[in-house]
This record gives sequence, structure tokens and C-alpha cells, in this order.
Amino acid sequence: MLSTLIWLPLLGAIPIALFAQTAKQSRNIALAFSGAAMLWTVWIFSQFDLASGGLQMQEFVSWLPVLGLNYDLAVDGLSLMMIFLNSLLTWIAIYSSSSDIERHRLFYPLILVVSGGVAGAFLAQNLLLFFLLFELELVPLYLLVAIWGGPKRAYAATKFLLYTAIAGALILASFLGAVWLGDSFDFSYQQVLQNQLPLVSQVILLALLLVGFGIKIPLVPFHTWLPDTYVAASPPVAILLGGVLAKLGTYGLLRFGMGLFPDAWALLSPYLAVWATVSVLYGSVTAIAQKDIKRMVAYSSVGHMGYVMLGAAAFTPLSMVGAISQMVSHGLILALLFHLVGLVEDKVGTRQLDQLNGLMNPTRGLPLVSALLVLSGMASAGIPGLVGFITEFLVFQGSYIVFPVATIVSVIGTGLTAVYFVILINRTCFGRLDSQKAYYGKVSLTEHLPAFVLAALVVVLGLRPGWLVQWSEVTSASLVAALPEVEQVQLAWQEETSKENISFARQVPLDIALGE
Amino acid sequence: MPTPTLSPTLPPSTHEFADIIHRLEAGGSMLPDSPENLKQIIGIYKAYAVPMDFYWRDLLYIAERVFLNPLPAFKYFISKDYLDRPNAYAGEAGSPRVWRGEDDAHPELREFIAQGEAGRKLPRIMHHLWHGRINMEFAEACMQSMYWHEDINPRFNAYLDSDDYKANADKAIRAYFKGNPAMLGLYKLFPEVFLEKVKQLSYYSNLGLFWEVMAPVFFEMSDLYDEGKLTTVPEAMDFLVNGIFAVAGRPIYHQVFIKGECYEIIPKSEGFTWLYEAALPYVEAIFYRTAPFRGTKSYNAQANEVPRDQADFHYGILYADLFPVGSAGIPPTLLMQDMMHFLPDYLVEMYQANSRGEDDILNQVGVTFQRSMYNVTSAVIQALRTALCYPLDDPNPRHLQANRDFFEMQIDRFKRPEARLRDIQKTSYL
Repeated sequence: MLSTLIWLPLLGAIPIALFAQTAKQSRNIALAFSGAAMLWTVWIFSQFDLASGGLQMQEFVSWLPVLGLNYDLAVDGLSLMMIFLNSLLTWIAIYSSSSDIERHRLFYPLILVVSGGVAGAFLAQNLLLFFLLFELELVPLYLLVAIWGGPKRAYAATKFLLYTAIAGALILASFLGAVWLGDSFDFSYQQVLQNQLPLVSQVILLALLLVGFGIKIPLVPFHTWLPDTYVAASPPVAILLGGVLAKLGTYGLLRFGMGLFPDAWALLSPYLAVWATVSVLYGSVTAIAQKDIKRMVAYSSVGHMGYVMLGAAAFTPLSMVGAISQMVSHGLILALLFHLVGLVEDKVGTRQLDQLNGLMNPTRGLPLVSALLVLSGMASAGIPGLVGFITEFLVFQGSYIVFPVATIVSVIGTGLTAVYFVILINRTCFGRLDSQKAYYGKVSLTEHLPAFVLAALVVVLGLRPGWLVQWSEVTSASLVAALPEVEQVQLAWQEETSKENISFARQVPLDIALGE
Repeated sequence: MPTPTLSPTLPPSTHEFADIIHRLEAGGSMLPDSPENLKQIIGIYKAYAVPMDFYWRDLLYIAERVFLNPLPAFKYFISKDYLDRPNAYAGEAGSPRVWRGEDDAHPELREFIAQGEAGRKLPRIMHHLWHGRINMEFAEACMQSMYWHEDINPRFNAYLDSDDYKANADKAIRAYFKGNPAMLGLYKLFPEVFLEKVKQLSYYSNLGLFWEVMAPVFFEMSDLYDEGKLTTVPEAMDFLVNGIFAVAGRPIYHQVFIKGECYEIIPKSEGFTWLYEAALPYVEAIFYRTAPFRGTKSYNAQANEVPRDQADFHYGILYADLFPVGSAGIPPTLLMQDMMHFLPDYLVEMYQANSRGEDDILNQVGVTFQRSMYNVTSAVIQALRTALCYPLDDPNPRHLQANRDFFEMQIDRFKRPEARLRDIQKTSYL
């Protein structure tokens, strides 16, 4: 059942690559397959048992048991939200791509391959399978940026490739450590969960994961690839990158960082909270200084992913629900923003804040795009009634008890978000449209459609947050329940690090070398 | 487009707009001659003439019948008499007969009054409230502009300040408020207020009489174009020039009808004429000057954003940035709205083919109107040149130089950065 989400997009790539004659045909086929995947996702939602916090709809096919690699899929509240985001944003990315795009027989298959790979990564219950699928999206995305990107696309794509490859290597190293140090060769997630690793080992392996997924999210200071890549990528690819791919990072941290190394997570959580706060502030403050809307949104993304990290660091049931919901909320808002920025760039020919003006003009501006831009800015800044508010509020409400200072500082970050969105909206939408230059093309209803869908979700889920959070509540509770008390772990850490003659750094290679 | 022929006896002009000067010297217009431009200006003349047919009738209705009504709530609900009132320049009795059509209200105007925007017959008040009406706000803004820029109509204004005028006005005011001690008491207390209102009503009449001529001129041009008899922009301009001279001496007057009796406030015998007391002040006040329209832009007079001298005002249609048109309630927008109801099909199709289709039709109508008014202004400049200077084919080089000096002096007014003369030379200006 879950396999459909992986194989349907991959199957869709074949007829496009082989038979599609025109870009329109390719787009229609891609829309059909991604639409079918989206409908399948809805069906999965209908089958999902809200009362269960464990894995559901499991699929298992033995693949390479010698390596411990099996085709093992399942879904829980966390991955359910992610596959929803992936299916929806893939369809929207395809819909918002130009109907006369060049090399259409390559473009749409690559997007579908990314989508299938990402869906697989979210569903994979085998560490190696996750890693393979995580890596699978790397090359298509590199090509999507390098071929269809804007100026400096080659530089951005290479930077993206290097960063993500390093992230992959670190993640693989951590996975190998988690399995091998547990005296096992089975990469099944459930099996690895059983491994009782020493705290020091956990800390080191978690650190590797934190850097690996920290690059992918990204968190400061591993974020420098992100603005370049988002800016260089075409709007549909930017939607996928920011809306879905970044979530692989946060998903990975929650699923594997928190799941496999609960003691280390608990031990490091105060530092993670500080790290999250630094990301929030850095992303927000840097966004204020930007002149390019896409770059501004990219930095805002760094800030917003910090909220997810804060919620995860606090790991209270509420903050976890908030963190998971924030991932969805951020995906929806970012996709909306990138789609609108793409429309502005397409019609006006620039994204520069010092060149844009007066787009709210009712007759010759882009009034509806401007109105939706205001809405998305409000949602991103956490204005009540919109989905951004409820998810950020859940994070703050949940994390304040554990990290009051970090939470308050992060709340200031939302204020800064409002600052740069006011700057963006003021410079872009308001003021007087220059009559000498401005005679922009009309934005058709079909071009608006993705924005309508996303805006409707942003508003509806803002007014009825229960429809968003209910799917992950039980899963969040079970994730939190698996984590120990911080004080307890800190005591264990003191004991472990005070033991004489234990040099973990020396011990580990020896153990591995001896095959013990 | 025919290449303007340079006068063989004069060196090329060194003016910033030398091409346009040469074109004027060759008998052309400031607007380049092209089938596209001709289509636009004729189409908009027709669309302008229908509301103008209402404007002049209602202006005269207000000046002659509503007069000093203290609560003129229904001044835009023109009486049947004034809709049926024969236009002095149309129909069989027209003298001169400018338009070959009927002399009462244009059929499209009557249909619109009956059907409004709703497209069906409703009580007139319903159409009015539903914006299915001709908006007199533009006409009144034009009247106010003519009245306010008083330096441009010295002879007429001198008469408004004369004792004769005051005596005539006084007679009419007393007759109008006869049996109304409250209003008569107010008149005794504040006579200047009432006199000022009557002066304004004289300008209602002035403008009404001006447009009474222009509406049939534009109708006739539209008919000639449809018949294939107007084929170039200069021909259209020449038609206007000829029209100007044909009616130049028509009287401008103000009379009021009170209880069946006619009161001559400005008698025809005063000798005010259509060209000098109405047309030329109108062009100066409306095409060039007007006033910064409220609602389109905030002006800071203290920061000298508004000129100190009224003669420096350049907010007219020849300078206007038509982009803000579309803001509710401002007079230029309402004119575009009025014209929009009567656009010929070929203009609607042209607008639909442009980037924003009908979404920005008010802006597009405005720009077309601007082009057409550059052509009308060209006709005025050529008419003035005929009156004040020499024929274009005069063999005397000194006379030709005088013509050139005149043209350059006129075109100097479009050197200002906000002037749209540069823009209308380009087809991309929409």
C-alpha cells in the first residue's frame, strides 16, 4: 500500500521520458501521476489509525539480508505528515512549472524521481534503505538546479551537491556506528532501537547525525548552501527544496537522532535549544538585510526550522506536536511564498526589493498575488488565525517549561519575522507602481490555483488546527515517552565520563577491529 | 506614415522635438500619423461624444433651470426638455450643420439612460445609485478648472465682475427666490456668496455651449471614419481646424428660465465668442493646467510640490499620468468610466488584445484619450497659427520662421518631464 507512493511517481517518469512529445504532454502526465499519488495519500490518511502511536501499514520484502538491507516500509504520525507534504508539494511544484519548459522529458521525470525517493525516505524503516533513498534525491536535485536554475546555477548546484554529499557521509557513518556498535548487522530500525549503546557512543553518533541533518535542514552554521541554492533554483524546484527536502533533515533528526539515541538527545537537549535559538535569530536578522525576496525567504527558512529544533530539543508532548506541525506549516507557507515570488519574477522580471513597488495596484499590478503575499507573510510571522501561529505557539507553549530563556528569545525571532515581512510587503506591494515601466502580464486563474490551494490550507488549518495536529499527537507522545529524564542522563554522563581508563575514542576502533 | 516635408527655405529645427516641429510645419499633428493612431483617436472621439452629449445638456440644464436651488439633489436628473433640446449644430435645422445625425440626445445615450449598466429598464434613481449613469463630476471639474484659472479668460471674467453682470444676476436671484424670505434674507446678508454661485453657473453655461459644438464634431468624425472618408491623422486634425473656424464666432451667453421667463445674465449682445471665451480657455484650463486631482497623489504644498503660480500648473490631460486612473470617485476616472460604456467594438477588441485585457480598460481608455487630445491640441495650435501667423506654404522665409517660432514656443510647453508628448510617439505607450 505504501509502496505506491514510491513507485507511482517513478513509473510516471518512464512514459514522460520515453513518449512525451511536448512539454504540455509531459506536464499533464506528471500531474496525473503526482495527482494519483496525492489521492493515494488521502486514502492512506483515511486508513490511518489515530489511536495508535506505533508503526502502521507495514510492508516488508527481504532484499539483501546479508547486508541487513531490506525493503521495509511503515507509517506513523510523523511520516504521515511528511508524505502529505511531499505529495501535495510535488503536485504543486509540477503545476507551477512553466508549460513550455525546456528539456521537459528530463525535467518532469527528475521531479517525480525526487518525489518517489523522498516518499520512500519518509516511509523507510531500514536505516540503509533510508540512506539509499536519501541519497537518491541528490543527483536529480543537482540536475534540477544546474540545468533549469537561474544565474550562478552551476555554483549553487555544486555547492548543494558537496554539502549534501558530506551530510550523507556523516549520516551513513552514524548509522553504521549505531548498528555495528550494537553488535549487529541488521539495519532494521526496530532492531537498531533495541541496541543499548553507551552514552558516550550515543553522543558521538548523535553529533554526526546532528551535523549531517543540520546541513540538510539547514541549521547555522551549516546553512550557507541554502540561500545560494534556493535563489538559483527555479520556483518549482525551490518549492520542493524548501517545502519537502528540508524536512528530510528535521524528520531524520526526530526519527533517528531522537529515536536511536534518546539518552544522548536528552543530554544534549539544552545545547540543541541554544543552537535552535541561534538559528532562529540568525535566520531572522539576516533575512532583514536581504534585497532579494528569494534570499530573504531562504534565510527566513533557516529561522523557521529553528523552531522545529527548539520543539524537538524540549521534547515535551506539546512541543513535539508543535515541531511536527511546524514542519508542515513551514512547508505550506514556504511553498506559497516561493510560488508567489515565482509569479512576481515571471511577470515583473525581478525579485529585487529595491526595484519592486506598488504591486497592489488594482489595474496593472498583481493585486491578488500581493494579497496572497501579505497573507503568507502574516502566516509566516505567526499572526493568529493562520497556521503559522498555531504551530509556533505549540512549540513555544511546549518548550517554555523546559527552556524558558531560549523560548523567549525565539519569540523575539517571530517579531523579527514580522519585521522582514513588513519590509518585503511594504516594498513590494505598496507604494506607487511606476507607470513608465509597469505593464505586467495578467496572472491567470490557473497560475493562481496552487496559491489558492496553499492559502486555503494555511487559513483552514489555522482556524481548525485540530485537523493538523491530530495525526501526530499519539506518535509525538510515544516519541517523548521513549526519552529519559534529562537529570537522569546527566548523572549517567558524569558517571561514565569519570570512569578511569575509558577512552571511548580509542576503544571504538579497537572493538570494531576485533569484531566484538 | 508620410515623411514630413521640410520647408526648403529653412534649415532643420534644432528643437528637442524637431521631428514634431517639422511635422507641424508640414501640416501634420503632434500625434504620429498611423492607421492605429487614427483608429484610436476616432474611436475615443465617438466614445467621448456620447457622454459629452449629456454633459452639455445637463450643464445648460443646471445653468438655466436648476440655477440656485439650495438643495440640488436632482441636478443630474436632466429634464426631458433638455434631452430633446435640439443641438444647434446637428440635424436638419443645425446651423452650421456639423453632424448629419439627429439633433436631440444621441440614441446610445438615451438607451444608456434607460437601461444603465444593469442592462434593463429600472427607475432612474436605481440606475443612478447603481452607477448606471453619466457622471457629471468630470464636467463639473472642468467647469471649476475654467472658473478657477481666471487669468486665462480675462474679457469674460471682467464681465463677471462688471456692474451690468451684477445687476443681471441680482434680478435673476430675486426672481428665483421670490416668495422665499429665508433665502432672500440670506442673500441680503451674504450677497457675494450668491453672486459667486451665479458666476459659477455662468461657467456651467460657457462649458455647456462649448461642448454643444464639440459633441456633433466628434460624431461626424466617427461617421466619416466609418464611411472611409477620414483616413489619416492630419485629415482628422484638419476637420477639427475647419470646425473651429466654422463656429469660432458663435455666441457664449448665460440665460436663466424662472417661471417661464427668461433672464439674460450674460446676453448674447455682449459679443462673447465660442473660440476666445470658451474654446481657448477650455484648452488651457483642461488640457494643460487643471489642478492636482485629489485622491491620486498627495501633494505637499509647503514643500513646493504645488507651484505657487497657477500658470505653472500642468496637471491636464496632456501631462497626466493616467496610471492612477481607476481610483474611485476622481473625475478623470469617471470620464473614462463614462467613455467605457460607448466604446466602438474595434477599440474594445484592441484593448482586449493588450496585456491585461479588460482589467485595465480604464487606463487604456485614458491613454487613448490622451492621444486623441494631443490631436485636438494640435488642431488648436494649427488654428492659432492660422489666426496669428502665416500659411504653411507661405513663400516668405521670414514668415516661415515666424511659424516655426510659434510652433517651437507651443511645443516648449511639452519639454517638461511629465509631458506625455514623448510617450504618445510610441505605440508601446498603453
